[in-house]
Amino acid sequence: MGKSYLRNILSAVSFLLMAASLYMVFVYVPTEATMGIVQRIFYLMVPVAWLSLLSFLIVFIGSILYLRKKQSRWDVLARSSAEIGIIFTTLTLITGSLWARPVWGVWWTWEPRLTATLVLWFIYLAYFLARSLAAEEHRGATFAAVVGILGFVDVPIIGLATTLWRGIHPGALIFQGGLAPSMLLTLMVSLAAFTALYSLLLLQRISMKNDEIEIKRLLGLTAERHNTGDR
Amino acid sequence: MRFLSKALVITWKDALSEMRTKEVLSSVVVFALLVIVIFNFAFGASQEKMLLVAPGILWVTFTFAGMLSINRAFIPEKEQGCLEGLMVCPISREAIYIGKMLGSLLFMLIVEAIALPIFTFLFNLPVLSLQLVVVTVLATLGFVAVGTLFSALAVNTKAREMVLPILFLPIVVPLIISAVKASELALSRESWATLASWLGIMGAFDVIFLVVSFLVFAFVIEE
Amino acid sequence: MENAGYLLAAFTLVWALVFGYVIVLFARERGLRKEIESLKETLKERQG
Repeated sequence: MGKSYLRNILSAVSFLLMAASLYMVFVYVPTEATMGIVQRIFYLMVPVAWLSLLSFLIVFIGSILYLRKKQSRWDVLARSSAEIGIIFTTLTLITGSLWARPVWGVWWTWEPRLTATLVLWFIYLAYFLARSLAAEEHRGATFAAVVGILGFVDVPIIGLATTLWRGIHPGALIFQGGLAPSMLLTLMVSLAAFTALYSLLLLQRISMKNDEIEIKRLLGLTAERHNTGDR
Repeated sequence: MRFLSKALVITWKDALSEMRTKEVLSSVVVFALLVIVIFNFAFGASQEKMLLVAPGILWVTFTFAGMLSINRAFIPEKEQGCLEGLMVCPISREAIYIGKMLGSLLFMLIVEAIALPIFTFLFNLPVLSLQLVVVTVLATLGFVAVGTLFSALAVNTKAREMVLPILFLPIVVPLIISAVKASELALSRESWATLASWLGIMGAFDVIFLVVSFLVFAFVIEE
Repeated sequence: MENAGYLLAAFTLVWALVFGYVIVLFARERGLRKEIESLKETLKERQG
C-alpha cells in the first residue's frame, strides 16, 4: 500500500504547512499600511490562483500524454486535475471579489487578472462539457484533451491581451511593488501549503477514479460470470 | 505541393456547393446586417457614441456571423453522411483540416467584404482603411483556425451546433479583445505603431493556433 | 479593524469549500473501496 503511505505523509505535511501558514497570516505578518487588515486575503488569493494555473498545467501534460499514448491513466490524471482546478478557479474568483469589494468598493472589476481568471473558468467548463457531450467515453476523453491543450496554450495569450487591454504594462503582472521579507515568507509558506494540499487532492482523486474504473471492470466480470451459467 | 492541392480540392468542393445555392452566404450576410441594425437601435444615435461602440458592434457581428460560418464546415457533412466518405478518401487528415479551414476563411472574408462597406455607410465611419482590413484578416484567420477544429469536434457530440460557442469562444477571447481594440484605433485613424502590439497578439495567436489545431485535428476526426 | 468581515468571509469560505471537498473525497473513497471489496467477494463466491 505504497500509495496510502504517500498520501498519509502528504496529509501530515499539508496539515503542518497549513497550520504554519495560518499562524503566519494571522499572527506573524505585520498589517499592511495602505489596505489594512483586508490585505491578508492576498495570502489566500495568490496560492489559490497559483493552484488554478498549476492544475491546468497538469491537465495540459495529461492531455498531451493521453493523445500520444492512448493510456487511460493520463486521462485520469488530466480529468482529476481539471476537477480540482475548476474548484480553485472558482475560489480565485470568490477571493478576488472579496478583495475587490473592500479595496475598490465594487464586487467585480474587469481588471486583467480577474478577467483572465474568468476566461480560464470558462475554459475549464469547456473541458468538462466537451467530455460529457461526446457520444462515447473514449471520444469524450479525446475531446477533453483537445480543449486541455488549446486552453493551456491560450492562457499566456489571454493574460497578455487582458493586461494590455487595461493599459497596464505586462511586466507588472505578478508583483506590484516590493514585498517586505516577512510578507514574502508568509506568502511562500502559504504557497507551499496549498501546493501540498493540491498534491494530496490530486492523488486522492486519481485513486478514486481508478477505483471507479476497477468497479466497472469488476461489474463487467460479474455479469459475465453470471451469464456463463454459474449459479 | 501535393498536400496543398489536395487541401484545395476540399476547399473548391465546398466553394462550389455554396456557389450553386448561395443560401448560406446570403443568410449570413443578411444576419450580419440585421445584427448591426439592431445594435444601432440598442445603442442610440449620437455620432460620438457611435465611434465608441462601433468597434464592439462590428466584432460582435462578425463573431456571430463567424459562428454560423464555422458551423457549416462539418455539420452538413455529418448530417448527410458525407463525413465517412470524406475520411475514406486518400487524403490526409491534415489536408482535410486545411481545406475546410481555407473554405471557412474564404466564406468569412466574403461576408466581411460585404458587411464592412455597409457598416461604413450606416455608421458614417472611415471603415475602409488598410489598417482595418489587416485587422479583420488577422482576426478572421485565427477565428477560423480554432473554429474549424472545434467544428469537427462539435459535430461528434450530442448537442452539435449549440455546444460550439461554449467550447470555442473562451479560447478566442484574446483575439476578440485585440480585434476590438485595434479596430478602435484604426477607426480613429491612429498610426500603425499604436496598432502594433494588438496586431502582434493576433499574429502570434494565428500562428500558434494554426499549428496546434493542425497537429491535433487528426485526433478529433478519427472514429 | 474595518473590513475584517471580508477577511473572515474569505478565509472561512475557502477553508469550508476545501475541507468540504476533502471530506467528500475521503468519504466517497471509502464507499468505493467497500464496493470493490463486495464485488470481489461476489466474484469469489461465483467461482467456488
